[in-house]
Amino acid sequence: MTLRPNVCKTVAVAAIATVAGSVAFAASGTKETHPPLAPLPPVPIPVDNPMTPEKIELGKKLFWDYRLSGDNSTPCVSCHFPALGWGDNSPISRGYPGTKHWRNSQTILNSAYYNKLFWEGNVTSLEGQAPAAAEGAVAGNGDTAMMEMRLRFIPEYVEAFKKVYGIDWPRMNQAYQAIAAYQRTVVSDAAKVPFDRFAKGDKSALTDAQKRGKALFEGKAGCIRCHNGPLASNQEYYSLGLPEYPEFKSDELYQITHRWEQYQKGVPEAVYRTADRDMGLYYQTMNPADIGKFRVPSLRETKYTAPYMHNGLFTTLAEVVDFYDKGAGPLPDKSPLLKPLGLTAAEKADLVAFVESLSMDEPLIHEDPKLPGDYQPLK
Amino acid sequence: MKHPTPRRLAAAMASMGMAAGVLLGGLAVEAIAAEAPAAAPDIAPLPELKPGKEAMIELGKYLFFDTRLSGDWGVSCASCHDPAKGWGDGAPLSKGYPSTEYFRNSPTLFNTAHKKTFLWDGRLAGNDMGTLVRDMITEAHTMNADGRIVQERMKQVPEYVALWEKAFGAGKDPYGPSTFNVVGEFVKTLNSQNAPIDKYLKGDESALSAEAKEGLALFRGKAGCVACHNGPILSDGKRHRTGVPEHPDVLGNPLRTITLLRHYATSGMPNYMNARTDVGFYAISKDPADMGRFATPSLRELKHTAPYMHNGVFATLPAVVDFYDKGGGQGGALKPLNLSDAEKASLVAFLESLSGDPPSVQAPKIPDFKLREFGKN
Repeated sequence: MTLRPNVCKTVAVAAIATVAGSVAFAASGTKETHPPLAPLPPVPIPVDNPMTPEKIELGKKLFWDYRLSGDNSTPCVSCHFPALGWGDNSPISRGYPGTKHWRNSQTILNSAYYNKLFWEGNVTSLEGQAPAAAEGAVAGNGDTAMMEMRLRFIPEYVEAFKKVYGIDWPRMNQAYQAIAAYQRTVVSDAAKVPFDRFAKGDKSALTDAQKRGKALFEGKAGCIRCHNGPLASNQEYYSLGLPEYPEFKSDELYQITHRWEQYQKGVPEAVYRTADRDMGLYYQTMNPADIGKFRVPSLRETKYTAPYMHNGLFTTLAEVVDFYDKGAGPLPDKSPLLKPLGLTAAEKADLVAFVESLSMDEPLIHEDPKLPGDYQPLK
Repeated sequence: MKHPTPRRLAAAMASMGMAAGVLLGGLAVEAIAAEAPAAAPDIAPLPELKPGKEAMIELGKYLFFDTRLSGDWGVSCASCHDPAKGWGDGAPLSKGYPSTEYFRNSPTLFNTAHKKTFLWDGRLAGNDMGTLVRDMITEAHTMNADGRIVQERMKQVPEYVALWEKAFGAGKDPYGPSTFNVVGEFVKTLNSQNAPIDKYLKGDESALSAEAKEGLALFRGKAGCVACHNGPILSDGKRHRTGVPEHPDVLGNPLRTITLLRHYATSGMPNYMNARTDVGFYAISKDPADMGRFATPSLRELKHTAPYMHNGVFATLPAVVDFYDKGGGQGGALKPLNLSDAEKASLVAFLESLSGDPPSVQAPKIPDFKLREFGKN
C-alpha cells in the first residue's frame, strides 16, 4: 500500500471544492486520489446573504430565542447547545415536547462548510436548514406565520430587522438568513486546532502518536477515502451497514416518529408498511440502491460532539474506530469500500489520537445572548 | 320615521348577508344567497337527527379528550370545549395552544350538528365538519399538531386500532382524515335535550312560564330577534354586523393581537399590520361590505355558555339584551328597540327557556401507547 500525500497548496478561496492538492490512495490495486486534509478556507458566504455584525448579532439572538418554536420550548439552541458540542449530547435528538426525534442532533460547528445539510443531505444551505428544523413536527414545530408575528411584537427585533434589512416588519425568511449568518461564525479557530497548526508548518503541533495516526488515516485505515479535504468529509453518501438505534423496538415515541418519517417523506405504501430502518438517502431519491446511505460527516471537533453516527450509536471515538476496524456494520447493503482493517490496539489508539487533533484545544463556546424583552402592544 | 318591522329587518339583514363564494386555502367557504325568506322566519323544535355510527362516535369521544391530538400534548379538544363549561371554556377569549392566546371566544359545541356555518366568521360550511376539526387540530393557535403525527400516535394505541376496524372495517387502520371525521361524529351527538321550548313548540303550553311566553312574543315581534335568530337552533347561519364592542384584551394583550394579525396574514387580508379591530368575515372575503360581520350564534343552551358574543364581551344575558335594546353598537346595522325593564326581563326569561339538560358525557379513561412490532406498520 503506497501513499503519496501531495503538498497542500494553501490558497485563499471561498469555496471548499476549489482547494488545491490531492492525496493519492491505493487500494485493491487501483489508485485513487483524494483532496488532502487541510486547514479550512475562509467560510463561504452566499452572495444573497452577506455577513454584517448586526445581522450576526440578530441571528445569535434568534438562535437562542425560545419564541421561535411551537410552544416556546424548543429554540435552535436547545438541540445545538454550545457546551454540548453544539449538539444535544444524546444518541437521538430530544425532539419537540410530545415527540422524540429519530436521528442524532448534529453539531452546527463548521456546518457553514457543508453544501448538503441534515444526515440525508436534503437541503443545500443553512438558509434551507434553519426553517426545516424550526418548523419540523419533531423538532421546533413552529408555524412560520406565528413565529413571524411574534417577532413583530418585540420592539427590539423590529428595530434590529429594520437596521439589518431596511424593512418595517420582521420576516421569517430574513430571520432564517440571520440565523444562517450567525452559524457561519460557529467555526473552528485554526490557531487552536493541532492538526491545522501542523498543516501550516508547526511540526511539533502533533504528537508522535497523532503523526502515526495520520499515516494510518491516510493509508492502512483508508479513512481519507471519505473523510478528506479541509472539512474531513467528501459530502458523499455511503451505507455503513450500521445497526438501527435499538430503542426503536422498545420506545413507543420512537416508533411513532419512525413511522411518521416514512409517511411524511412519501415512501410507497409497501415500504411504509414494512419499514424497520432509517433508509437515509433513499428518502430523497426513492432509489433502493440508496437505502442506508448517509452523508459523510466532518471529523472536525469530534472531541466535543459525542455520541457519533446518524443515530448516535457510539459514545466514544474508540468505539467508532473499532467499528471500522471490524469492517463496519452487519447490514448487507454496506459500501464495498468497507473491509476489515486489521488494526492493532496501538494503531487504533493512534488513530483516535489523530482524529482528536482535528478538534480545538478547548471547545468553542458562545455565551448566551441577552434576549429582547416581552411582547409589547402595537401602537 | 317607521319602526323596522321584523320582516323588513330580516330582509335588510339578508341583503347585507350577501357574500361571494370564495375558495381559500382549499376550503370551501359557504356562499350565502341574497334572498329574503319567503315566509316570516320563526323558531322551530330541534329536528331528529339521523343517528351516527356508534363505533365512530365511541372512537371520536376518546379522541376528543385525548391530548395527544395536540402538538405537545398540552391541550385536547376538551380544553377549550369543556363539558363542565357548556362545551366552551367559560372565558371571554379562548386560551389556545400553550404559549399562544386567541382573539375570539371559544364557541359552545352544543347542537353543532344543526349549524349551517362554523366558526364566528362563518367561514366554513356546516356540512364540512371534517375540515373544521382538521383546522382545530392543525392550526398553530389551537392544537398545532401535524395531522400525520396524530395518525401515527393513534396507531400506537391498540384500543384505537381495534375501534378503527370496528368503525371502518377490517384492515382499516388509523388514517389522518378519518381522525377528523370521527371527532366530528362525536361532536354531532352533543345536542340539546329537554329544553322547555321544544316541549312548548310541540304543544305543551305549561312548558313556558307566562313571563317566558311574553318574552317569546317580544322575540317574534317588537324586539325583532327572530329575524336572525330563527330555525331549530335560533340562528339563520348568516353573518351580520351588530357593532359588538371590541374586547379590550385583544389589543391590550399582545399575545392575542399576535394571533389576530396572524389570522389576517394567513387569510391574505390586505394591509393586515395596520388592522386594530376584529374585522370578522372581511378577513376571509376581503369585501368591505363584510367588515365587522360575524355569524349569528345559536341561542340554545345559553344558560350553560356564558360569556356571550364572538369576543365574550358580555357576561350575562341581561347585558346582551341591553346591548340590542340600545340598537347594538357602533357601526352596527340595528335600531334601538325601546324595551321596558319588564320587557327585557321577559326576553331573558324566554332565552333561558331555550336551555335544557346538558348531555351527560364523562371523559373516558385514555388508553396508553403500547409497543408495536417494529417493521409491522
